[in-house]
Amino acid sequence: MTPILQGRGLVKSYGPTRALRGVTLTVAEGEILAVTGPSGCGKSTLLHCLAGILRPDAGEVVYRDHRIDTWSQARRSQLRRGEFGILFQYGQLVAELTAAENVALPLMLNGTRRREARTAAMSWLERLDVADVAARRPGEISGGQQQRVALARALVTEPRVLFADEPTGSLDSLAGEQVLGHLVRLARAQQTTVVLVTHDATVAGYADREIVLRDGEVDPTGLGLARGRTVVAR
Amino acid sequence: MRPAALLRLALAGNRTDTVRILLTAFAAALATLSMLAAATVYAIRPRGDAALREAAGLAPTKEGVPGVEPAPDGYAYQYTHNLLVEPGLRPGVALGLLLLCIPVLALAGQSARLGAPARDRRLAQIRLAGATPRQAVAVAVAETGLAALAGTAAGMAAYAAGRVLLHRPDASGRLPLPTDTLPPLWTLLAVGAGLPLLAALSAALLLRRVAFTPFGVARRHRTRPPRPWPGLLILAGIAAFAAVQPVVRAYAWSGRPMPGWVLPVLLGGGGALATIGVVLGTAWISQAAGRVLHRVARSPAALLAARRLMADPWAGGRVFAAMLAAVVVGAGAAGVRAWFTAEFDAREEVSRANARAAGWEYVPGDTSFYTSSLDLVDAAVTVALVIAGLGLLVYLVEGLVSRRRAYAALVATGVPRRTLARSVGWQMLAPAVPAIVLALVVGTAIMRGLVREVRAGSWMQFCTVDDESRCGEGSPFLRTFEIDVVRPVEVPYAELAQVGAVALAAVAVTVGVGLLFLRASTDVTELRTE
Repeated sequence: MTPILQGRGLVKSYGPTRALRGVTLTVAEGEILAVTGPSGCGKSTLLHCLAGILRPDAGEVVYRDHRIDTWSQARRSQLRRGEFGILFQYGQLVAELTAAENVALPLMLNGTRRREARTAAMSWLERLDVADVAARRPGEISGGQQQRVALARALVTEPRVLFADEPTGSLDSLAGEQVLGHLVRLARAQQTTVVLVTHDATVAGYADREIVLRDGEVDPTGLGLARGRTVVAR
Repeated sequence: MRPAALLRLALAGNRTDTVRILLTAFAAALATLSMLAAATVYAIRPRGDAALREAAGLAPTKEGVPGVEPAPDGYAYQYTHNLLVEPGLRPGVALGLLLLCIPVLALAGQSARLGAPARDRRLAQIRLAGATPRQAVAVAVAETGLAALAGTAAGMAAYAAGRVLLHRPDASGRLPLPTDTLPPLWTLLAVGAGLPLLAALSAALLLRRVAFTPFGVARRHRTRPPRPWPGLLILAGIAAFAAVQPVVRAYAWSGRPMPGWVLPVLLGGGGALATIGVVLGTAWISQAAGRVLHRVARSPAALLAARRLMADPWAGGRVFAAMLAAVVVGAGAAGVRAWFTAEFDAREEVSRANARAAGWEYVPGDTSFYTSSLDLVDAAVTVALVIAGLGLLVYLVEGLVSRRRAYAALVATGVPRRTLARSVGWQMLAPAVPAIVLALVVGTAIMRGLVREVRAGSWMQFCTVDDESRCGEGSPFLRTFEIDVVRPVEVPYAELAQVGAVALAAVAVTVGVGLLFLRASTDVTELRTE
């Protein structure tokens, strides 16, 4: 499979705390990769480095043969807006905007007209079975619905890579399953690569492959969370 | 709960809580200074010593009498500035100083909201630890009360220090400020105890919509949309000013003396009604501005701002209240200046004509007393705008901090910070521009209602020969000269533009300073905070 995203020897520290200690991994195009591990092991930091949100202290992040960790913040922002989609634990929707406006926002930022952006947003909300809450604000809908709206916002630009940071962490199991079901179905349909950070074995089970982080390093024992399967760090 | 425990819980908190406490104390200190300054001016005891009168350029009434003599005419000759000397102006100065408390109290009110969600969570945790709802409220009230008490004490200390440091009599013994006067003891006690009490009561009042439970905090929000009825208050205020001249004429026509309360009620009440109308009307303006912006928004920044304005239109009235009150006063002061200018012009024209007719030398009148007094009013308006700007800044920073996770998430997904910055700018300026224009129009309208033209005139007879005995009734040497000058009071467009520009600049500077917090609020680490 063609690699789309690579991290090579990634190191990142917050003051005296070393969150990543030389992580190397490759994500193949169209793959769903789960990054698992205990709390504080550096999962979210790894995701932020791969997505270009954080710049690593050392090492390289390569996206489609381009070393993006050396890019300016503006260029990385542009990349995230166009090529990447990001989904957080708490939907992080804009509280004052309606669900449809939240989904339309990334398209408008890319220069799409408001009417067209809204049409596209409605189409995504329908695909995620939340079209009925399009006119409601995040505070007026359930956590599961919020997360599906957030997923629609992450996918509306049809990104090549979707980064999901504990996407079901704030949901009950049923709502979590619904969100993950939609995520996997739509990612497969669009050939979107997914990097999924979780500490939940059920969530990791949706992935094609799993790597485990411990203390900022890829665990060489390769024992993953998902059904005890053997994990291969490529 | 023991007082020590209450104190510990009231003052426990994070950095935002510390900033809130400091800002509350700062506002209390400013309010104390403003109240004590007003009380001091009001407590001035006029002195008319011969030497002081002489220094003031007046003939001594009791020549040679040494020591302190009360002035029988109420003039306090011990001061250099006419605003303190003239008995008719001192109550106005005291009132003006007292009115400065309005933006200060608005700042205090805004400060109380800083970091409120985090504080509310802390209070819910205290409830979880076994405190009753009343005890949780007591902790919040104690925090505000103690901060106000500290601020009041600091304000009193600054006042006492100012009395010593600013006591600079000139060569003739006259003072620039009333540093020789102390308000009565009961006033000092009322300010010292009343202000912290008032702050604590306000905090309790603000918390009446909040229910603290061990599982969190429920806050009742005002859901009804704002209505345009404050427009009626504005009209009533303008009508009160417009009624002044007809009422004065009616009393003069009837021959009955006008009761002393009529003018203060019409002017004070009318001004208050118009100002309250503008402040309350801003909520409606915010909502309308949000709706219009939402309809025409093409950019994400405008869309975000429009939705925020529509989500909480009441914030507009709350946040811009002090600033708009200052703009109404500033526009009214510009109107007064235009009135005085027209009046002086008319009088000068009469004096010139009289001098020409009688062959006298024309001596221009001195208007510096009035213009310097109005300069002081303008300075007070500027101070009020600056304090109001501080309140605005607190609101802005509070908004950025409370939305930091959503902002950080947007930036993480690739939203440029400048888009968020623009949305904040839109959010502040979209309601501010029409509200400031409304405040200018209202301030001008109340003055236009009061006076639109001025008249000055004189009638005199003079003798054209040196021997006045030849100028009897019907004498050809007796000349009669009559002049009547009518001058329109111009709308002071330049001054109004200046007041509006200063207010808008205050908003723009506030937005600029507030945006310095945007980078910190959108840091990726905010995604981890709960």
